[in-house]
Amino acid sequence: MAEGPRRRLRLVIALLVGLVILIVVQLGQLQIIDHAFYQEWADEQQYQSIVMAEAPRGVIRDRNGHLLAGNAVVYSIEAAPPYVLDAGAVAAELGAILHLPAAQIQRSLEERDENDQLLWWVRIAYPVTKEVGEQIADLRLPGITVWPHWTRAYPEGRLASHTLGFCTVELTGFYGVEGFQDDLLRPEPARWEGPVDSDSEQIPWAVAPIVLPEPGTDLVLTLDRTIQALAEEELARSVYEFQAEGGTIIVMDPHTFEILALASLPNYDPGRYVEFYGAGQLPFEDPAVSMQYEPGSVFKIVTVAAALDMGLVTPESTYYDDEFEVGGQEILNASRQHYGWQSVTDILVKSLNVGAAHLSTEMGAGEFYEYVYRFGFGRITEVGLAGEVAGQVWTPSDFEHWHDSNLGTNAFGQGLAVTPLQMAAAVATVANDGTRLRPHIVLQRVEPDGTVLNHQPVIEAEVISSHTARQLQEMLVQVVEEGVPNAQVPGYRVAGKTGTAQIPIPGGYDQEGTIASFGGFGPVPDPRFVILVKLDRPGTSDWAADTAAASFSRLAERLFVVMGVPPETATIAEAVR
Amino acid sequence: MSDFMQWVTHGTKRGRYELPPRLKAILVGTVIAVTLVAALYLALVSRTAARGRHIEQLQSELFRLQRENEQLELEIAAEGSVDRTWERAIELGFAPADQIHFLLPGDAP
Repeated sequence: MAEGPRRRLRLVIALLVGLVILIVVQLGQLQIIDHAFYQEWADEQQYQSIVMAEAPRGVIRDRNGHLLAGNAVVYSIEAAPPYVLDAGAVAAELGAILHLPAAQIQRSLEERDENDQLLWWVRIAYPVTKEVGEQIADLRLPGITVWPHWTRAYPEGRLASHTLGFCTVELTGFYGVEGFQDDLLRPEPARWEGPVDSDSEQIPWAVAPIVLPEPGTDLVLTLDRTIQALAEEELARSVYEFQAEGGTIIVMDPHTFEILALASLPNYDPGRYVEFYGAGQLPFEDPAVSMQYEPGSVFKIVTVAAALDMGLVTPESTYYDDEFEVGGQEILNASRQHYGWQSVTDILVKSLNVGAAHLSTEMGAGEFYEYVYRFGFGRITEVGLAGEVAGQVWTPSDFEHWHDSNLGTNAFGQGLAVTPLQMAAAVATVANDGTRLRPHIVLQRVEPDGTVLNHQPVIEAEVISSHTARQLQEMLVQVVEEGVPNAQVPGYRVAGKTGTAQIPIPGGYDQEGTIASFGGFGPVPDPRFVILVKLDRPGTSDWAADTAAASFSRLAERLFVVMGVPPETATIAEAVR
Repeated sequence: MSDFMQWVTHGTKRGRYELPPRLKAILVGTVIAVTLVAALYLALVSRTAARGRHIEQLQSELFRLQRENEQLELEIAAEGSVDRTWERAIELGFAPADQIHFLLPGDAP
């Protein structure tokens, strides 16, 4: 062969040999140098023990960042029996750690279906703690998988249980915020996005991006944990002291309509809600928004506000308190007595049903119910809690239910039904100089990417003028100072109104038992909080002046301290002088 | 017999196949190119696999840390709960305050 072709031939051979060496080096890299790496990977894929593809549910905090509802991890021990090498040995090992009979575990592993085939999947134990789960995972038993699962936990126990609601094992929320905001709180699962064939199977060779699981949205509530605890403590004390069947206390900020506390009894531990099934009436519904009642005389605030705002009367206007009939029904004062000439202020101070009926009939049904609706009654408040009801207000257009006498009785809070939150919002409207905002329980949303969305206040209506509201505030101060001494708070000017309402039963009203309530705010002027106290069937006294009013006073006194509101008569320390 | 089959049988009888130089060059070039591509592909795939594995490990670690973080936050919240704070206050000897007086800075000389 000539020199030229021989040289070219050698060159080609060298090139080919070089390329082959390159391939051999790559193979050596993979199979020898990186052997351990790939062996470990293969082992993990073959004996994969801990897998988690679920993101956590959004947490719920109070306005100061205290965790009210969070996420804990529990483990599920599961098996794929066809891959279990020695059922007896595996059962013995698992039984020792789980404190379960080994025979029971072995039976599960050896269970067969109707075709005499081993089951593809069995659950050995759930839930188990983190320590036990990781101990079993470390055994690396073929066919045994340790699945972590999120579970909901409530570190404050029963605190704010009605407001929070609860989550089931499947992490679905019910009642309260957990129920109403379930879509927001729920995490996004991991999912794969890419082309599929006609059988919905992933097409190979395609680059398929996997969307990683995303946690749910975190919520910051308007609740103040401290105020909530104080409200619950006062409610428990009041229910016990006044021998009531239950009750509700609501604390609101009158300028923003943020719910600072929402307490009701009986309540429950949301982390152990299952224990309450089968124990009689379920305590899950929040009485503050889901149960309606006839408010009684506290509703006179609405009637008087309407009459003042229309210019029909002034606080000093008078009427003659005597026999009075509306729609064929005689209107009676609670004392069954008549008082002659009385002022509009006296209607509130002395809680005169006749006077209230005078005002509503003078206004006329059209104007009266217009104000009732503007105060937010007869519809839900949209506070953001599950199970809210609208209450019940019949008007002349409700032919089947309306009666002319309703105009008289509704004026003093009988014959219509409201929720405690609606009543609290109405009182807050007066405290807020006549402007009604939408009550809300969620202060902020914190998205998974960290974006913070603040609640934007919603002005529902300018219900009454600020002048009317200020007049009414002073009248309600007089109510406390002259009519309800139990509601007074030493050193502070507080305002409010009692309500002692009969309880409707089929055929009339229950002659035994009342709903005793007090709606008030302080200090006046420039109130910092609104409190509504409602006690169900107090046993020591039917009258709100003896029961709910005292609860209001005690709670208000503590709130003044917590909120750092000094009394009007705070004294200079004598020791300084 | 076609030209191709004549070439095959002729070559088989002689023990060698004669290819035109141009065809030989193309054949050699193709083998070199395929071998090169195969080597590069092998290198790329193994690197991609390693990177994918690394990502998987990081993701698994992320989930683990997420779980631990949530668990720790829960434990902290339980320790700082109202009930627990009350218990600890009592243990430390604190008592509920029931006589509170506000003092305001005065204009006293």
